[in-house]
Amino acid sequence: MIVQTALLIGLVLFSVLAIFLKDLLRAAISLAVASLFLGIVFFRMNAPYAGVFEISVVAGLITVLFILTIALTNTAEEVRESPLANIVFPLFFVVFIVIDALVMKGLLQKIPTVASGPEAGTFGEVLWKGRTLDLLGQIAVILAGVFSVLALFRKRDKHD
Amino acid sequence: MIILFVALPLIVAGVLPLIGKVSRRVLPDLLANAALLFLVVYAVAVGRPLIANGPALQKLTWLGETVNLRLALDGFSLFMLLVISVVGLGVSLFSIDYMEHYGAKANYYALLLIMIAGMNGLVLATDLFHIYLFLEVAAVASYSLVAFGLGHDELEAAFKYLMLSVVASASILFSIAVIFGMTGSLSLPDVARALRDLDAGAVVGISAALFIMGFGLKAALIPFHAWLPDAHPSAPAPISAVLSGLLIKVSGVYAMTRIFLNVFGLTPALSTVLMYLGTVSLVGAAFLALGQKDVKRMLAYSSISQVGYIVLGIGLGTPLGIAGGLFHLFNHALAKGLLFLTSGSIQQSTGTRNLDEMGGLAKRMPFTAATNLVGALSIAGVPPLNGFWSKLLIIMALIQAGHPVFALVAVLTSVLTLWYYLLIQRKAFFGKLNEKWAAVKEAPFWMTASTVFLALLCVAVGILFSLTIRTWIQPAAGVLADGVQAVIRSWGL
Amino acid sequence: MTNTWYLYLFFSVALVAAGLYALLAKRNLIRLFIAIEVVAKGVSLILLSTGFARGNVLVAQALVVTFIVVEVSLVATALAIIINVYRHTKSLDVRKLARLKG
Repeated sequence: MIVQTALLIGLVLFSVLAIFLKDLLRAAISLAVASLFLGIVFFRMNAPYAGVFEISVVAGLITVLFILTIALTNTAEEVRESPLANIVFPLFFVVFIVIDALVMKGLLQKIPTVASGPEAGTFGEVLWKGRTLDLLGQIAVILAGVFSVLALFRKRDKHD
Repeated sequence: MIILFVALPLIVAGVLPLIGKVSRRVLPDLLANAALLFLVVYAVAVGRPLIANGPALQKLTWLGETVNLRLALDGFSLFMLLVISVVGLGVSLFSIDYMEHYGAKANYYALLLIMIAGMNGLVLATDLFHIYLFLEVAAVASYSLVAFGLGHDELEAAFKYLMLSVVASASILFSIAVIFGMTGSLSLPDVARALRDLDAGAVVGISAALFIMGFGLKAALIPFHAWLPDAHPSAPAPISAVLSGLLIKVSGVYAMTRIFLNVFGLTPALSTVLMYLGTVSLVGAAFLALGQKDVKRMLAYSSISQVGYIVLGIGLGTPLGIAGGLFHLFNHALAKGLLFLTSGSIQQSTGTRNLDEMGGLAKRMPFTAATNLVGALSIAGVPPLNGFWSKLLIIMALIQAGHPVFALVAVLTSVLTLWYYLLIQRKAFFGKLNEKWAAVKEAPFWMTASTVFLALLCVAVGILFSLTIRTWIQPAAGVLADGVQAVIRSWGL
Repeated sequence: MTNTWYLYLFFSVALVAAGLYALLAKRNLIRLFIAIEVVAKGVSLILLSTGFARGNVLVAQALVVTFIVVEVSLVATALAIIINVYRHTKSLDVRKLARLKG
């Protein structure tokens, strides 16, 4: 429990860092580290597949995409973030965390649940046989993403 | 084979770019339109007998193993499929000519088909997470379609649309997580049953609020509407038609209605919230539409207003109100789709969307003027066109249920709507012909044909309104009016 | 719900809140997208924790896996849009994207 909480604190820490670091490249890497923490949190929740996916796809693939974009937009001048936003954030966040914790404490045991039965099968069976339509949806969304990128990067010979 | 509604557009979409390399024009157009035409015919011909004895459920076997592809087609789903296919076909025909100068037509058609496949999947889904998944499929396709022209305005609109949409998705998923936590299941009948047994008022309220935020954003209800007035005008005209005519209704209104009426059950509190939300959108957007110079922007605000009407009718919860709301959904999809398409015709011929610059176009573009008039009168609610009947139904339902104030507000807003639509007509089409447009020609064949097709449908549905209501609306309204029972009883999978 | 669920909910909400704050306050387009990623982390955390709290980890994993796939498509599309915006305005400032009245 302690380890899990520590990991979660690390996750939030690196995520906030990713948003507030001035150098975009460091921000992308910070995001990757946050994904790493999340992946480990998943592992420790008996969810190895989700952990693997989180680490390899989010910490891996998405970070690469980010770095690619940062490289392609390299000559853009520095975007000055509003200094006020940076100062207000710690205050806002601390207040939010406190309210968050109090609400959670207040909600303890308040949410009724239906008792759950034991879980059957392996992950493969659950995914392929139990949630097959998810796979069709995944194919659709991947197609959508691929065609979107193709459309947005097409060669334009004449354009209005 | 209900799965065809999702699988066919996807397969054609997957193949289209390859075919596009071989034949730049004829084959992609032909394939895409044929696929959509097939879906329309399928929905009309095969759909009704399928659900004659209760919802049709689909379970597939693949290579001997039972795969769990649960799709359910009941009255409400079939009704939505019909709307999607008909407007989709109209848009697709229009795109044959309109998208010529954008380039990459095969890619465009592929994205359009994916969006339609996503919407079809959404209305056939029996599982909360599948509703979310197909909503995202349609949304991802729509982001790039809005940005398709690659101009500054399009990209800006697409980016803002994307940002807000992500907030919506997060809200929806949080709500799904809470419901999953409470009930241990994601499939609609199980959730409905569990929620009924659980009696968890406050938490369901939070979940409903999150859903309202998420789906309200997708449906562009005020105060979640900020993305729509930028996104719909900037997109290419046929895409504006699909977004305004279909996407906001399918991913916003349908999902919200299905979950609130068939799974949560429409409590008085929920009904009140929906009615107020609907009314605020109805009135607010109507006023916001008034000062617009850009014709597509005005149409976009009008969409927000009419969706408010639909939510008002459905939120009322009485069978008549629900029927009126659904009928208005159908009519608005037809008419607003038509109006965006004609605005595309105008934009193509004259190069402008600014109403102040237009004038007297009816002399040069008679077909466009006529179809635009039909669309405008339909939305404004002029008899005997379709919009009149659906608005009348909603107003009658409001009076019957004892909400005379709402009814009065609705009537007054209708008058306002009528006024500014007539103003648009006069400014753009009638009056003196602006000399700039002396050499303007009528729109190319497919663009005109598709607008005429949709206009004829508006007229036909208006004249045959009782037939339409009986065959298509009643089954759908019946499913919704049954509430939670409809899903628990007959979707037992 | 077991008490540990509330712990995860606490962190998940904190993540989403931080992400939403950044969406409102930040100006660099890429940073805005990093904020969206943070929100997505919060969402996948709550999805999996809910499954874990109910002992239904397998289903929750399927949900998270699918969600991550959706996220990848979203990131690809969004970054494509951002690169195109950069080509137009030569800048990554979101304030340059204020021509439409909204």
